Amino acid sequence: MEDIKAYIESGILELYVLGDVSPDEKLQVEELALKHPVIKAELDEIERSMQLYAEYNAVEPATHLRDRVLNSLLTNFGDDSTFDKEPDVQTAKVVSMAPPKSYNFYKYAFAACLALLLASVAVMVSMYNKLQDSNNTIAALQSDKQHFANTVSLKEGELEVLQDASFKFLKLQATAKAPTGSQITVAWSPAKKKVWIDMKSLKMPENDKEHQYQLWALVAGKPVDLGVFDANADTADMKEMKSIASADAFAVTLEPKGGSPTPTMDEMMVIGKF
Amino acid sequence: MSRKRKISLSEEELVLALRNREKIAIEALYDMYSASLFGVISRIIIDTATAEDLLQETFVKIWHSFSGYSTEKGRLFTWMVNIARNLAIDKLRSKDFKNQNKNQELENNVTFIDEQRNTVYKPELLGIKELVETLKPEQKLILDLVYFKGYTHVEAADELGIPLGTIKTRLRMAIQQLRKHFN
Repeated sequence: MEDIKAYIESGILELYVLGDVSPDEKLQVEELALKHPVIKAELDEIERSMQLYAEYNAVEPATHLRDRVLNSLLTNFGDDSTFDKEPDVQTAKVVSMAPPKSYNFYKYAFAACLALLLASVAVMVSMYNKLQDSNNTIAALQSDKQHFANTVSLKEGELEVLQDASFKFLKLQATAKAPTGSQITVAWSPAKKKVWIDMKSLKMPENDKEHQYQLWALVAGKPVDLGVFDANADTADMKEMKSIASADAFAVTLEPKGGSPTPTMDEMMVIGKF
Repeated sequence: MSRKRKISLSEEELVLALRNREKIAIEALYDMYSASLFGVISRIIIDTATAEDLLQETFVKIWHSFSGYSTEKGRLFTWMVNIARNLAIDKLRSKDFKNQNKNQELENNVTFIDEQRNTVYKPELLGIKELVETLKPEQKLILDLVYFKGYTHVEAADELGIPLGTIKTRLRMAIQQLRKHFN
């Protein structure tokens, strides 16, 4: 007991309460306190005194601090309740997602439609142009055909005149008025009452736009109008004139455009008599 | 703002509630001990904001390491106040805190510490006038150096130039005086 009393009086228990002992001393004090109620009682007294001393020296912390501290503890409180549990290792269910095919399908389908539409329009424009060309060609061909048909018809007429034995051919010769060498050939069938002039044989000065040549038949000394014609370089066909049953002579005069009822004798270019 | 009625439990009830991790234990713990613990912390760390941070840290540590406490080892408050004191002293001695506050070396300047203490002590508020009278100045000086300033008794002996045995005796006498006073 003397040892215990000396131990108490050494002041180590006070240092123990003040946390000012080595770990070995700490263990020793705790062991002895368990063994000896006197030491335990002494420790308890020292602790109580120091607690009261602290209470005497207490400083009330600011009011707001209570909430702050309690909140920080309650935050941890929530953590604590989950800490003990083994954290659930939740393996996320991985599902491989198919790429949004339908979306792409419609996108590409739309693009394809658009491309087809554009291609169709281009083809249609091209076809239309070709059709126009074809139509033009057909029109040109028809026109040519008509031209050839006319030509054939005309040539048949000429051939008929040339082959018909009833036609008489008369070469009209230049008068003093006309340039030397002026001439035109007239074919006349008294039986068929038809008169043609051969433009190929025409050798007369070209008439201007105000004037035309006019063919006359002289029947019993009187001139009869047989129609007007132009002397152009590009006319090389035979031309049918007005009908006449009988004639003594043929003459051509230069008259105002459209012809005159009676011939202007001063302007007589060629004349031929049977 | 009307202050909430403080929750108070017996130490046995409180320990049991803390052990069961009951929510009410946290509030009771704060209401019962925050002022005493803050008294200790704010004497070691003068800066109020830092002292408040340390009080919060203390409660967090108490809450987390409560399994380390057993009633056989002593009173709950003794265990808690040592946590508070150790956190405060660690802070006081930490490099960043010294730089931040341009504190002087703790061991080398008792006068500085005493001056600090004087600014914090509020005898009229705390009602310790008669208590101070019961303690002899040399007893109180050593008690406060160890209890409130984080000195070890060895450091206190060095600082005051007093033999280690005398320090221990004076410390014991001081606490004896307190016991007498509180009884």
